[in-house]
Amino acid sequence: MKVSDYLTQEHCIMNLKSKTKEEAIKEIASLFSGSAEVTDLGGFIEDIFERENLGSTGIGQGVAIPHSRTKAVKNFVIAFGRSLEGIDFSALDGEKVNLIFLMGTSEEDLNLYLRLLAELSKLLMNSEFRKALTQAQSAKDVVEAIRRFEGYNK
Amino acid sequence: MAKINTIAVSIAGAEASMVTARYAICLAKLLNAQLVVIYVVDTKALGDLLKSKVFVRLEAIDYERDLEEHGHRYLRRIEKMAEEKGVKAVSILSKGVVHDEVVNISKEKNADLLVIGELKEISSRRDIFYDEGERIFREAYCPVVVVKNKEMVNQLYKEL
Repeated sequence: MKVSDYLTQEHCIMNLKSKTKEEAIKEIASLFSGSAEVTDLGGFIEDIFERENLGSTGIGQGVAIPHSRTKAVKNFVIAFGRSLEGIDFSALDGEKVNLIFLMGTSEEDLNLYLRLLAELSKLLMNSEFRKALTQAQSAKDVVEAIRRFEGYNK
Repeated sequence: MAKINTIAVSIAGAEASMVTARYAICLAKLLNAQLVVIYVVDTKALGDLLKSKVFVRLEAIDYERDLEEHGHRYLRRIEKMAEEKGVKAVSILSKGVVHDEVVNISKEKNADLLVIGELKEISSRRDIFYDEGERIFREAYCPVVVVKNKEMVNQLYKEL
């Protein structure tokens, strides 16, 4: 299973309106409003915040991967948000974050979740991949870039 | 006469693994072999996530503990299933790089056959070299059975 098997165009925001980390997480998570996979959206967002309290998921190079294993989610979910201005995510390198992947999974789906998280973080280490996401014109471009780089990131 | 004495089966702790386990139990029963059930906690993935700072240490420790519990739960379930079918099963929970552990344990246990779950679709050359299932399949020292067709397996298991 790959990230591209799960991320759909409907779950991509190309130009986030949010100005803060909290707003951005809520804005991206709201894509799952009414989704069968997220049974409790408020609980999901709270659990993401709780994880952020342990340490920022802003991993540097303009990237953040807020994530949570939570009872509020039935199956693995992923969404993408891009901020053109950049958001202060208290990232490890102190830089603003432009590319945000929000992920959640149930308490049970541990192995799949770990594999996809590891896969995504490896993809994001590739500067060409980050460039493709930054320059993407549409959600379709984002999904296609992930598919393309999943074949060449190692 | 040569005989298949030991069958190893690799499970990943998902419901799909139960189909793999059922087929391995069927084979063990039909061949009168012992079953070695292997679950590996993927500490390589955990280490990679720590290194890339996606995980904080506390989180990685939590995951490792939960994966271990998860693995024990699945192993107990499979042991019970094997027992119900009159198959002798030994469970092994290991930690490390999944394909290395599965290949090494099956070798240590002198497995005559290794049973694994269905391989995922190959979409790039990279998959051939980095997918854990593919690597087990390619690096195993003994014959490997790849389990497919859930309905057929479940039917066989039911009739056993």
